[in-house]
Amino acid sequence: MRIALAGNANVGKSALFNQLTGLHQHMGNWPGKTIAKAEGKLNYKGTEIEVIDLPGIYSLTTFSMEELISREYIAKEKPDVVVNVVDASVLERNLFFTLQLIELERPMVIALNMIDIAEKKGIKVNAKKLSKELGVPVVPMIAIRGIGVKEVVEEAIKTSDKKTKGKKPKYRKNIEKAIGELSGIKIKHYPARWTALKLIEGDQKITKLADKKTVEIARKKSKGIKKKCGVDSSTAVTSDKYAVAEKIARECTAISKKERVPLGEKLDGILLHRIFGYFIMGLIALGVFYFIFSFGDFTSGHLDEFLYSLMPEYKGLLGVVASSVFEGIIAGLTVALPYLIPFFILLAVLEDSGYLARMAFLMDGVMHKIGLHGKAFIPLMLGYGCSVPGCLACRIMETDRERLIAGFVVTLVPCAARTVVILGLVGAFIGVEWAFLIYVFNLIVVFILGRIAFKALPGEPMGLIMEMPSYKMPTIKNVAKETWIRLQDFIVVAFPIIIVSTVLIKGIEIAGWMEQISGLLSPITVGWLGLPAIIGITLIFGILRKELTLIMLAALLGTSNFAEAMTPVQMITFTILVLFYIPCAATIATLYKEYGLKKAVGMTVFEIVFAVVLAGLVFRGLEYFGIF
Amino acid sequence: MKLSKEIEEYLEILYRFKEKGKIAQTKELAKELKVSNASVSEMLRKLSEKGLVKHERYKGAELTKKGEELGKKVLRKHRLIEKFLTLLGVKKSRIHDEACVLEHAVSDDVEKALRNALWSSKNPEIKAENAKRAIDLKGGEKGKIVFIVGGTGVRRRLEDMGLTPGTMITIRRSSRFVGPIEICVRSSCLAIGRGIAEKVFVEVVK
Repeated sequence: MRIALAGNANVGKSALFNQLTGLHQHMGNWPGKTIAKAEGKLNYKGTEIEVIDLPGIYSLTTFSMEELISREYIAKEKPDVVVNVVDASVLERNLFFTLQLIELERPMVIALNMIDIAEKKGIKVNAKKLSKELGVPVVPMIAIRGIGVKEVVEEAIKTSDKKTKGKKPKYRKNIEKAIGELSGIKIKHYPARWTALKLIEGDQKITKLADKKTVEIARKKSKGIKKKCGVDSSTAVTSDKYAVAEKIARECTAISKKERVPLGEKLDGILLHRIFGYFIMGLIALGVFYFIFSFGDFTSGHLDEFLYSLMPEYKGLLGVVASSVFEGIIAGLTVALPYLIPFFILLAVLEDSGYLARMAFLMDGVMHKIGLHGKAFIPLMLGYGCSVPGCLACRIMETDRERLIAGFVVTLVPCAARTVVILGLVGAFIGVEWAFLIYVFNLIVVFILGRIAFKALPGEPMGLIMEMPSYKMPTIKNVAKETWIRLQDFIVVAFPIIIVSTVLIKGIEIAGWMEQISGLLSPITVGWLGLPAIIGITLIFGILRKELTLIMLAALLGTSNFAEAMTPVQMITFTILVLFYIPCAATIATLYKEYGLKKAVGMTVFEIVFAVVLAGLVFRGLEYFGIF
Repeated sequence: MKLSKEIEEYLEILYRFKEKGKIAQTKELAKELKVSNASVSEMLRKLSEKGLVKHERYKGAELTKKGEELGKKVLRKHRLIEKFLTLLGVKKSRIHDEACVLEHAVSDDVEKALRNALWSSKNPEIKAENAKRAIDLKGGEKGKIVFIVGGTGVRRRLEDMGLTPGTMITIRRSSRFVGPIEICVRSSCLAIGRGIAEKVFVEVVK
């Protein structure tokens, strides 16, 4: 049996999915997290159930990728039951989507989620009545706490047997008449009434599938409707559907007056204030930076001391290669983890609290300057964690052009791996203020490059339309889970790479190829950038993962006291180079998947050339002014 | 009530002052209308007798509710005719004065017909007499959506989020120069970029 979870953005589909499958689909408090459908399995009292988590959408038109994916999935793959997750506190808007699902004529169950939050807002929904009005079962639920989840599954199993389909909404007379006249048309997979309605609305995809004569009739009908109603036929259909949703929502909700201004509104008054809002955002950014650095620096130092103090103990026991593997692991532990853990914790807090969406709101004006809108700030912030989810999150942007610019910008912000280099090298050996300067410098460069990309790919940005999520207190459980998932990614993917790379690099050293390989790159590394020749080889490994540039250096030097090998000027030049020089292998693969070969190669080549030129200029600038 | 050209002209100017939130002084009015101070005082007295103007000696003149209605209507016609004349290609320098003459001759029916003929998505404000762009509303103001202009993509997206014609919205947060606005519609809160908020036309509801 297959269940598909569908519903508006940020209503708790992923929370329900995780409860059902025990998997860890990413959760956060901003609209658009689930970007591709996720699949999982559960076994309920002997029934094997496949669960599919569809992306959150507001409608089943074809104006965005996610909407099309969801619609085609439900119509073509025909899941046995569609579980429509509904936010009880925004019932009317959610029901608009419910009515569209009903029109697709799949057996359905409504999971009425967040009844606790609705009640706090003074909204009480009568589930029984709602079920009667819609003709489908309604189950109250608090997905995040697991309340009502079992009942949803039971109801879904029952419904798949009975094949109950809901009551379809009725439209104004002339639309109903037109539907009646077009109801003979059959298009594979799609129900007849729905097809007729879509033809009247002028749906691009369905119009393409229908024959010419039908399309012509439908066009005439919608023209007639437009003439009579004074609005486009699609507007008339939407208005009528909303009127039905409004009526049902009104009849099924009891609203008790609340006197106090809700806390969220008060918070927004400060956090979204046109002056204080930016001020507070700046303070938060600074706080986050400082916390990550001081925590990382402290832990890194102590861990380093401790692990290297054990060094003589095992060095004797192991061979040259094995001990170098240990050095690699130690470097991974001491250089990377101390900075990653606090960073991932704070990122999860930002996401869960709902503040990330507020940042998007505040940054709308700035993002317009690079041809994007505020929502693009969300992938950008995620890009500080890792470029891969950052690039994937660019799918929340509406047009291809915006997706491309956003993706490009995301690869340029320092991901956690690059943060390791910035903080672990510049921060730890030159000073925290220099690390901070590098972040600011990066932002300026990103802005300029974004602006150039915008000029090269002209076009008006679509503009921001985003639902503001309510504030939520981040739970320790969820934050810990999110942090662990991101960290797992690092440990499972990075450590094997670190180990293999260390063995490789030691092998190269023993074989005596070091000089040849480094020599190949030395015109650039030594000649143009003024770096030690040994850097060349770590740069090659850095393509796999950026933090390897530093970890391999530590492995080669046999110490993570980088001051022994590099001057401050070299450290900064190196860091600037690593910041931009190439997206890592995983990111290149993601770019290829999202934007195609040509664009992925284009971005990669551009970034290599750009980084080398920029780092060389920075090197000369620092030398010229004699700053160190 | 049939008003003379002269009275209509006064009401129009007084309404312009009101729009700017200013109280008109006799001297200023005389300058605008190119007449003497004495005739302005005389006219203001006449207008306050008709209950169209509140006139206080040293403070200046202000429209009453009734006067405001009438003044607004004259100005509306004036602006409509300006648009029409622009479209016809009349010299820019002449447009204002021509409109001042024509505005008094246009009946309400002709105004409506002109409005319908001139309406296009390029100057949407013509269509609805009292519609304002959502971006021009202040925080806390409520309005009913009249129509949304712009491409199908934007319009449908907004409609899908619940912004269909006739729907009440409340502006929760607005800023005059930069940044998006936040609106409440159908018990949800949406952030809307400035460019989009310029395309949503609403009728303010008190």
